[in-house]
Amino acid sequence: MYATKQPSLRIDQSDLMCKKGCGYYGNADWEGYCSKCYRNHMDQERQKKSRQSQADHSKAQVSGFSKFEEKKRQQTDKKNKYLKSLPVFRKSSSAKDSGRPEKYIDMRQANPDADKLMAEFISSYGEWGEHVRKDFFKCVQAFTTKMLSELDAKPIEDLAEIAQNYYNLYNKRVNTNDVYQGVTSEVKDELLDFFERYSMVSLYSFLFCPPSTNDEEKDLTIQDRIRKLSWVNAHHLDCCISETSIEVRDLVYTAINDLLGLDSMKAPQEKLSCVVRCCRSVVKVLQHCQGGPVSADEFLPALIFVVLKANPARLKSNILYVTRFCNDSRLMQGEAGYYFTNLCCAVSFIENLTAESLNMPEQEFQSYMSGEVTCVSAWESALVACEGMHQLCEHLALLKGLLERTAVVQDGTQKLREDMEKLKDEINEKVASVLERTPLIIKPRKIPIPITRDNLPVSPSIHIPKIVDTNMPETDEITPHNYYLQNLSMTQINLLDSTKTKLQLDITPCLPVPNTAQMPSQSTEFLSPSGIDNRSLDSLTPDDNSYLGLSKINYDIDFSDLSADNSIAEELTPEKRKSPTPSFTTPDPFSPVGVSCNIMQSPLVPSSGPMLVPVQERPPKKDDFVLPFLESIPKKVEEETLLDKLEETPIISLPSPIKPFTSEYTGFSKQGSKIPSIPCNTGDFSSLNLSQSSLPSSSKDPN
Amino acid sequence: MSAGPYNYSYIFKYIIIGDMGVGKSCLLHQFTEKKFMADCPHTIGVEFGTRIIEVSGQKIKLQIWDTAGQERFRAVTRSYYRGAAGALMVYDITRRSTYNHLSSWLTDTRNLTNPSTVIFLIGNKCDLEGQRDVTYEEASKFAEENGLMFVEASARQMGNRGDNVEEAFLETAKKIYQSIQDGRLDLNAAESGVQHKPSQPGRNNLSADQQASKDNCAC
Ligand SMILES: Nc1nc2c(ncn2[C@@H]2O[C@H](COP(=O)(O)OP(=O)(O)OP(=O)(O)O)[C@@H](O)[C@H]2O)c(=O)[nH]1
Ligand SMILES: [Mg+2]
Repeated sequence: MYATKQPSLRIDQSDLMCKKGCGYYGNADWEGYCSKCYRNHMDQERQKKSRQSQADHSKAQVSGFSKFEEKKRQQTDKKNKYLKSLPVFRKSSSAKDSGRPEKYIDMRQANPDADKLMAEFISSYGEWGEHVRKDFFKCVQAFTTKMLSELDAKPIEDLAEIAQNYYNLYNKRVNTNDVYQGVTSEVKDELLDFFERYSMVSLYSFLFCPPSTNDEEKDLTIQDRIRKLSWVNAHHLDCCISETSIEVRDLVYTAINDLLGLDSMKAPQEKLSCVVRCCRSVVKVLQHCQGGPVSADEFLPALIFVVLKANPARLKSNILYVTRFCNDSRLMQGEAGYYFTNLCCAVSFIENLTAESLNMPEQEFQSYMSGEVTCVSAWESALVACEGMHQLCEHLALLKGLLERTAVVQDGTQKLREDMEKLKDEINEKVASVLERTPLIIKPRKIPIPITRDNLPVSPSIHIPKIVDTNMPETDEITPHNYYLQNLSMTQINLLDSTKTKLQLDITPCLPVPNTAQMPSQSTEFLSPSGIDNRSLDSLTPDDNSYLGLSKINYDIDFSDLSADNSIAEELTPEKRKSPTPSFTTPDPFSPVGVSCNIMQSPLVPSSGPMLVPVQERPPKKDDFVLPFLESIPKKVEEETLLDKLEETPIISLPSPIKPFTSEYTGFSKQGSKIPSIPCNTGDFSSLNLSQSSLPSSSKDPN
Repeated sequence: MSAGPYNYSYIFKYIIIGDMGVGKSCLLHQFTEKKFMADCPHTIGVEFGTRIIEVSGQKIKLQIWDTAGQERFRAVTRSYYRGAAGALMVYDITRRSTYNHLSSWLTDTRNLTNPSTVIFLIGNKCDLEGQRDVTYEEASKFAEENGLMFVEASARQMGNRGDNVEEAFLETAKKIYQSIQDGRLDLNAAESGVQHKPSQPGRNNLSADQQASKDNCAC
């Protein structure tokens, strides 16, 4: 039928059979014979043509696994020959080839699929014992070695025959050899199947579309032909597939995908099962379209339609590979045999189809084929529509994803907002509580500032508060002359509350100025935060200079604040404030001139005290700060002096009360420079925060 | 069917990827047939083409897999990435969406091919300058950021930039060949996408290629 008949869509079942009439399926590639008859036929032909009998030779070689050793030897020879033939640029890798074990082993190493199969074998058939496994792999090895050795010498048809012979041999062996005695017949079949699969996967790259054949050309030819036939639709094929129905289309796509899998598989039986799956899908399509049982007559056109639409890659190579290397017995009978034969028919139809076979005028056919006339087939547009739909779905999915993410983000935002509210409340609460604890006391003190200014010139000595620190030995040194800025205490509290910060610093500067000027020796410069104080004073008083000198002192005080220990807190207790003990006296810049030291200091201290003590435990103490200061911050002292110079304060040279330390302790200038001027009256110390905050880190505040 | 002499010493495997309708099949056709296929049906699954070229005096056979851009065949086409030595990633300069999808194509390619695979970005249909939707600079920057080679080309127009079709395929081959020379590309790895054929007729040294694979893989 194949060569003789005009390609037709309607084939008789008998057309699928071997033309010898042996009852097996025939095949176009076997010239219409079944594989057995074809081989017989070929043998006869060959024998007729040449008495050389190559076939005999190959058969002799195949005769048994007993020749295994010999083959191995042959193979090694071959490899040596092969190595010599390597081109120059392959040297690097070929050099390493020497000393390599067997070709077969190496091949398997490079074949991940074969490795997988090996593992599968062990897991599936390991239970049958070591000897089964050993024998199996021995046979596989013998087979593959043989194939490789014949690869270059023989045409692919002969190799196919060798393969078939080995399949038969192994079949016999499984059924007769003692090794397989305990194995059930089912497993024997499986082993046979596995034998084929394993060897073919190992040899795939040599046997599929081998370069020695023109298979690839055939592939390209039919690919081009199918492309040219893309205009053919179901109607042309007299096939009931409705191309416009979505469900049908999906089913057809399933069939197409099954068929496309053909090229990705390696073992012949895997390829075959792709064909079977595809054909089953085709049957389903037809069932769907017809709503009833499917006759064999309708099957072929539908399959042709699917093949035309799928245009599977390397179609011919795949068919030839299966024909050659799939176990014949599979192809000659059964479902797989039937479907595969149908596929071959379909391909052959496509290769040979004419206008007549499509029942259309020759002219129309030609114009379609040449591309003169293009018809937009429903199928094609459906394809595009499908893709459009697909993209739509993709975008919808994307949007959905976005929606979800947005929701998450919104949740997060909500939470954040709540957190912020909470934090705000907390802060407010804290601020409120702090305010409560250390309320407005500060302000009243500040108010006095202008007064102090005035007073200062009058009786500077009075202003100077005497810092008597019980804790500190140094304090002892401080005579009433020494003007300490008590104000240190104000420092740190307030990062959170601007109000707190404001309170602390102002006071200090005023007092020291007069004192320092008059009393050279004892004022400890480091104690007083000069810069800050100066400024506040400046704004207040016309004679800045005098105050500037004092300012140095003030700096020191700031420092002390930072370094101040808890002990300060004790001193700062409200009782002390109210009735400052003599020891506790601090110079209050704001206090009225005439007032004694004690009085002046009291207002300042208390304000800072309460705040500091409970909250941060960092109340600045006069006493305390002296020590930490000396130890930790010599640098600053130096800077301070510089500052003083810049400001041209005459008082710079005051002798520090703590003489031994003075050398190390130079001054505080850094902070001073940072401290912005603070108007006395406002009492805004926000600027001080900066200087203060910088202090703790540098001074190594105990806190 | 007798074993004919091989007239090439290497086979390089390429894949062409990109959205539907960007002109992959036309590019392939232009390269292999030197013709523009005006009414090219959409590719289903994969198609393939071959052409023998010469690089540094070596004849190289390019085996090019033209994949379908359609999402529904992605499962099929993905199996062809494995073992591609070169990947031509195509977008259509007149359709921005095809450009926007490049990153996902790139991800696929990087995931499914081996690290030595040469990726070449082609902005196709540059004959349609009037409908341009993606600027050269933009794509060029994208290519640079991702270490891709890049040209704009036209499967329709030869001359002018149409020559770039040829260039894209050849440059890719050159780069692959260079990698082989440098030893960066392991010829013997199962998935290298490069096969070596001895010049001697009737010999097949594939197994040797594979033999060496495990041993000299230094990279
Ligand atoms: N103007 C112009 N049109 C082109 C060019 N290349 C391709 N086309 C047209 O673009 C359309 C799609 O081209 P194809 O090659 O089929 O696209 P594809 O990327 O293979 O599409 P799929 O196979 O579906 O993935 C065809 O109609 C071509 O005629 C080009 O360089 N210039
Ligand atoms: Mg295409």
